[in-house]
Amino acid sequence: MKTNHLLLFCLAAGCGGLLLAEDATVPAAPDPGRPFVYRQWDHFSTANGLPNDHIFAVKVHGPKVWVGTEDGLACLDKRTGEWQSWGEKDGLPWRVVSSIDVNPKTGEVWLGLFGGGLARFSAGRFDHYHQLNSGLVNDVVYGVAVEHDNVWAATTAGASRYDTIGDKWSIYTEQNAPMEEIWNYGVCYNDGLVYLGVWGSGVLEFDIATEQWKDYLDPDREMEIDLYRDDGIIHVITTGVSYIEKALWVSTYFGVCRYDGRHWRGWYARESGLPSDFNNAVKGRSAQEAWYCTDKGVGALMDFDTDTWVTYTTDGVNHTGQAVIQRGEQVLATVDTGYNLSHNYALAVDFDGNDVWIGTSKGLCRGVGAGYYPRLQTPPSTTDPAGP
Amino acid sequence: MRTPSRPFLSGLPALVFAASLTGLPASAQDAPLTPLTSDQVAARIRVGPYEIPDLPLRTNLNYAASAADVEPFGGVKPHKEHFLVQMEYTGPGRAIPEPDEVETVKIGFLGPIEPTVSVATGGGSHNEETLGKMMLKGAQLAIDQANAAGGYRARNIPFELVVRNDNALWGASGNEIIRMAYDDKVWAILGSIDGANTHIAIRVALKAEIPWMTSGDLDPTYIETNIPWVFRCIGDDRQQNYLILDYLFRKHDYRRIAIIRASSRYGRFGVREIRDGCRRLGRPVLVEMAYKGGITDFSMQLDRIAEVDPEVVIHWGNGPDAARILNAMRARGMNQLFIASDRAVSDEFVRIAGPNAEGVLCGYPWNPESASPRLEAFREAFQARYQASPETYAAHAYDGMNLLIWAIQHAGLNRARIRDMLAYRTDAWPGVTGDIPLSAALDDAGEVFLAVREAGHWTFHSREDLGIPRGEVIERMRTERQSAMK
Repeated sequence: MKTNHLLLFCLAAGCGGLLLAEDATVPAAPDPGRPFVYRQWDHFSTANGLPNDHIFAVKVHGPKVWVGTEDGLACLDKRTGEWQSWGEKDGLPWRVVSSIDVNPKTGEVWLGLFGGGLARFSAGRFDHYHQLNSGLVNDVVYGVAVEHDNVWAATTAGASRYDTIGDKWSIYTEQNAPMEEIWNYGVCYNDGLVYLGVWGSGVLEFDIATEQWKDYLDPDREMEIDLYRDDGIIHVITTGVSYIEKALWVSTYFGVCRYDGRHWRGWYARESGLPSDFNNAVKGRSAQEAWYCTDKGVGALMDFDTDTWVTYTTDGVNHTGQAVIQRGEQVLATVDTGYNLSHNYALAVDFDGNDVWIGTSKGLCRGVGAGYYPRLQTPPSTTDPAGP
Repeated sequence: MRTPSRPFLSGLPALVFAASLTGLPASAQDAPLTPLTSDQVAARIRVGPYEIPDLPLRTNLNYAASAADVEPFGGVKPHKEHFLVQMEYTGPGRAIPEPDEVETVKIGFLGPIEPTVSVATGGGSHNEETLGKMMLKGAQLAIDQANAAGGYRARNIPFELVVRNDNALWGASGNEIIRMAYDDKVWAILGSIDGANTHIAIRVALKAEIPWMTSGDLDPTYIETNIPWVFRCIGDDRQQNYLILDYLFRKHDYRRIAIIRASSRYGRFGVREIRDGCRRLGRPVLVEMAYKGGITDFSMQLDRIAEVDPEVVIHWGNGPDAARILNAMRARGMNQLFIASDRAVSDEFVRIAGPNAEGVLCGYPWNPESASPRLEAFREAFQARYQASPETYAAHAYDGMNLLIWAIQHAGLNRARIRDMLAYRTDAWPGVTGDIPLSAALDDAGEVFLAVREAGHWTFHSREDLGIPRGEVIERMRTERQSAMK
């Protein structure tokens, strides 16, 4: 219950008139509950077997966690806890692995190589696709996504789609797609739709069934301002896209946003749990939950409907960390999580059941989700402000 | 931890410094702050992998010194305004150890030094190699002089320029940056000229975490990307556009403006603020015609322009194109004022245009007639080294390379700290092209000029020289103004 000042109109018997009632007691809005907070974190670095601590990509597939670093590929077998890694001497075509996806049908691992093209890793062998031996439009690959039997590559000079069965390539640039600029940055596939995050050209949607494109651009068309809140994609310089349960999550270096097919919603750090407006990547877990990797920590929107966030930041010097639970701008609670993110400069995220993996510019970490629950739970009457 | 407020001095009228962990700007009432020396900055950027330097961030109260009446959507208070607070680098790079030994200190160069095939031009070259070669000469001269002075930290370790051609085909410039960053292991890069290629390059620089200085890309959007690793040491097309607008409308009373431009990114983005500004000032551009690079017959474009009977024709593209368009205009009796971009201020433009060049007016990013001892010394050195006179691209590349060398000398061999030296520099760089103060967006906030062809010579004029009024620049963030204009 909370106390408010209320203006009450009262029609009392025999005296119609205005009654000013102060400090009337009214019911407060019910607390919709608190989100799950990750309090147990595991950390991985070169000391554990990673080839390099600068992590550009992480992809969980079954019992394996694939990790792309600035100097090699690594894989953790969760069953044994053992790491294996590959460098150029092992056949990896180029040392910098910027993105990873796995073909769920074949188990083939597809690697976007930052300046080295595209690689397929299967049965211990790397197949190399690049500008001079394939239809890959450019060797600087920022994103890779498997769609049915096709592999999409977001490159710095357009997008390529490789039909792995028919061995055919399609190239998409400003010539045949609504790309105002061709600087592709991120790609994802789900539910019949491919989304491309294009630096300078917002987000492009490709419908697999109809092969039609649709573009999403900042309605004000200006770089230096965001004219109206929630009027469309928050900025055209997009860095990441993630589509799940018919919700499109978008990251940019100018805030983040979400689109449900009808409405856009945007967030800046000043009005949300985003640690920063500089967002390197995003991954949606559902239509309600998405994790944003920023240069100052990770912002997890845990419940879209109530705008409830958990913001993870770490103090690497003292090996401490905290999670701030926030509803919109309002801080609800701050939780001491111990050392959480390996580093606040976060570059990649993926989910692993209840767990979450986060790649940073100095190490990889796993948030252990024992007891994880989606969205919110009503806090019991305990003294723990973070809820269950 | 940073302290919430510390003495600091920007030296720039539109610049204050904020020292907030949240990145929120300081208010206009902040007290002036005390400058830091280069050594002080260099000491403070030596931090561990989890720390951020205890240094204040630049904050501007008005983006790009834009007059209120040409700001976009001027009647509306925007929800958010960007580029007013200096971007930070928050990664662990400052803790990367310096190499024990190096034979040379490598600095990358990306520029169009050979004719390149480009899809964007329909298979032709961008024809920017003349500019690129001058840019290379300016950069090389700076390297040579630094080596003559003892090289890296006076240890007789020479600086070495790693030169790559900027090929526009299929985004090849991105591959070149990868090689420079990972194979050549350069410490910083200077480049390029083409706006699209430079955009590709700086995205690579961001991921590879390498400082990037452009001395030749005047595309305003280059800096509007929020990349904390990029810098510019030349006045951009936005500033030249603003000066041209003020000349046309605030000094004179022209009302009928037409544009003809290259269909390249240089042409498209080069006139953007002119086009938008004309509309915002109530005199929308009557017609804007684009042409493909390499054509010599502009009849179709000029037919359309003649139909609207403009008072002024503005051209944005390469110098030879400007000359041919000008000649075609004059041949058909079109005697309008002809305004062009800085690329028209070239020997080739004058050679092709001949007497038609007289009276042409161009935006220009600097004043090459400045009575500056620094400029004079540079001219003499350039003449001695190359038996040629330096021009815009050589002079700015010289300044940009000297900035990088200065940053390396103070920061040591660490890319993040080299970046920091540039980003946290508190005073304007004393360049041969003039003083180069950086804005919060790490852009050159210095003065730009107008070049006028008079009596067979180019003369260069400041806003003050020509008495060109400036629109009211409101030193208050748009999101904090009580109304849209105040």
